[in-house]
Amino acid sequence: MSSPLENPTDFSARERRALETLVKRLGDDEFVLAERYTEWQVRAPSLESDLALANNAQDELGHARLWYDVLADLDVDERDLVYERDPADFRHSTLVELPFAEGDWADAVLRSYLYDAAEDLRLEALEDSAYPPIADRVGKIRSEEEYHLEHARNWLERLAEGEEGRDRLQDALDRLFPHALTLFESATPPVETAIPTREASGSNEIERNTDETSGDRSDADAAAAVEGDIVDFGLRTATLEELGEEWLSIVVPFLESLDLDVPIDESTIGEGVEYAVTVESLPTQLGRDGTHTDAWFDLYDDLTHTYRELERSDAAKIREDPDR
Amino acid sequence: MTRRSSEAGTDGGSESVRGSDRETTPCAYTEYREGRDTEECPATGDGATGLEADVWDALSSVEDPEMPISVVDLGLIYGVDVDGGAATVEMTLTYSGCPAREMLTDEVAESVAAVEGVEDVDVRLVWSPEWTVEMVTESGKADLRAFGLSV
Repeated sequence: MSSPLENPTDFSARERRALETLVKRLGDDEFVLAERYTEWQVRAPSLESDLALANNAQDELGHARLWYDVLADLDVDERDLVYERDPADFRHSTLVELPFAEGDWADAVLRSYLYDAAEDLRLEALEDSAYPPIADRVGKIRSEEEYHLEHARNWLERLAEGEEGRDRLQDALDRLFPHALTLFESATPPVETAIPTREASGSNEIERNTDETSGDRSDADAAAAVEGDIVDFGLRTATLEELGEEWLSIVVPFLESLDLDVPIDESTIGEGVEYAVTVESLPTQLGRDGTHTDAWFDLYDDLTHTYRELERSDAAKIREDPDR
Repeated sequence: MTRRSSEAGTDGGSESVRGSDRETTPCAYTEYREGRDTEECPATGDGATGLEADVWDALSSVEDPEMPISVVDLGLIYGVDVDGGAATVEMTLTYSGCPAREMLTDEVAESVAAVEGVEDVDVRLVWSPEWTVEMVTESGKADLRAFGLSV
């Protein structure tokens, strides 16, 4: 078992890289999903659903911030993480970046369900993280996330009751499901933390997976290596494969209970594998490896527009505090 | 829920209750983590003396931006540590997406910095244990009720 990671200034380059990769995939998912949710403000089908989704967006922004704060100990601040980052360095799943089909509430509801079911599992796998700042955040985030899942499930059940609603859900499912699978893809380490050629740490334990030819490694190998480190160092206590299987075992039966066809190979070969995720089930862009759909680059341009064009990097005080 | 009457039964009467209390063991399926004693959160500064008491007084003057209640009574302050002139405040927020985050942490830092004898302030945001309405002090609950909230 790995010992608790206490002081980030003592981290080896590999520990730092693992932490940064994990936190970016967590924070980026929340941040980008929140940006998309806000598009529903004043457009959701009822005042209640409008407020609910706006509130969920605010929750996700808060959670993104909680995750990004973890990197503050490594001297990476929010501005670097949001406004000064190359959009190709974001590690979110493509599920959260896709634009909503115009006016399609079924898309918003289904996306929320697919995402929140996955988030619940991954938070559970972070509760006993070896890095205390991660573990300490999980309770707060989970307590707020419970409502998201409940909200999504209730809406799914309501929409699936009628034929038109179910048809729309089916369309959304066919479109979104491959992207949801990227939630469980391993993330390529962010570019600015390329491993130094020589490890500072002399520990054999830390060195054991170091590839001599790391300079030539493909991104996929680097992603697999850093994902192995995330689990080996105890930052997360379950593998992505375990999380993905558990997620399938929850969402597939639930969606099928709503008379929806889940677009995934069901194999009953008798090895305990009920659902198989193959390369063919995944979209071209995985998000986690830094490849994204064009929609993400457009969204990034939009959300950084004011920062870039008007050079507004800080909130300005328009007038002095009248109470002073 | 299963009452453990079979163990207590032979002793009989109220004696058995105390007897089984003494045998209380940690819950088998709960993993106990090292960390802050959640019974101590929030902290209210009761019994603080000297400069630390002055820091608590300063904190009591900082109000939530939306309700007439101090951050101390709201239960946001988890600890104050004064070492020489250096004050460290551990606090939380009611909500992870709190839009008043900077406003509150800045105000806490400013009010503590203004205390005579404090030379340096470090405000640390912590999230565990997570804040719930149970963290509000009795006098804080009275303030919130007067404001029209049911707590």
